[in-house]
Amino acid sequence: MNTDDINLAYKLRHALNENLDALPASTTERLAAARALALSRKKADAPAGQRKGGRFFDLGFHLSGAGLGRLGVAIPLLALVFGLGGLYQYEQQQRIAELAELDAAVLADELPLTAYLDHGFNAYLESQQRQQ
Amino acid sequence: MATDKELNDFLANVERRAFKQAVYAVRKDESALDIVQDAMIKLAEKYGDKPAAELPMLFQRILQTTILDYFRREKVRNTWVSLFSGLGRRGGEDEEFDILEAYEAEEGSAAAESTMDQAERAQTLRLIEAEIQKLPTRQREAFLMRYWQDMDVAETAAAMGCSEGSVKTHCSRATHTLADALRAKGIKL
Repeated sequence: MNTDDINLAYKLRHALNENLDALPASTTERLAAARALALSRKKADAPAGQRKGGRFFDLGFHLSGAGLGRLGVAIPLLALVFGLGGLYQYEQQQRIAELAELDAAVLADELPLTAYLDHGFNAYLESQQRQQ
Repeated sequence: MATDKELNDFLANVERRAFKQAVYAVRKDESALDIVQDAMIKLAEKYGDKPAAELPMLFQRILQTTILDYFRREKVRNTWVSLFSGLGRRGGEDEEFDILEAYEAEEGSAAAESTMDQAERAQTLRLIEAEIQKLPTRQREAFLMRYWQDMDVAETAAAMGCSEGSVKTHCSRATHTLADALRAKGIKL
């Protein structure tokens, strides 16, 4: 904008300001009432101690709405991971126990070594266990 | 953080201009008063704890949003009214033009009661206001914020949610449009 434009803009501003003084009393009173109403609803300043506490909780314990939302997803996910881990551990223990039982039988000479290579041996052991 | 006194002083300083801004946009005094009141309450309730320096930009942003909300509500209301009464939108537009015509007619009566100089001055001021009212919304808002509300380019851009370049363009176009319109009516400031 050149100087003429800026001059015109400020002359218009002056003209508009002149018009402000001509506002009816009812309008200015209504505006004053609106201002008083707005001030009565002003957002209260948080006390200093409360703000400090808020910062402390921000370090890790503050649960805002968004934080709760994230926790709502994280907790079931963690439970799923721990559950799958536990299941895997249990299956491993079972497998080790079965192998140990087999080893013990071999060491006690109750079985020939070739039994290890026999694919039907596991089925045989199971049927033995069922009979016992 | 703005104190009660700072907030009160700020609102007292801007309330008349805000009212006029709203009138230029919605062309109804009562609606403009409601809009300014809503904007003041929103500012106090939601941003009353902000620093005083941020209040002008925040208030302008709230004011623009409140004016937009008014137009949205009006649009919905007009849709329902036209659905049930059989009066089309065109009828509503005609009413707006009637209001403007009546507004111009008042100029004559005011002039008749005053001395010649006062009447001419008052008429000029009304013509200026009418020309400002005719500006496209974005141009009008940019112009009023920059040159009437004393906001700088960055603050105006933040309040309008556009770039600083756009604010300069809007202001320049608004000033040229006003200059041409006033020249065409033989008004010299």
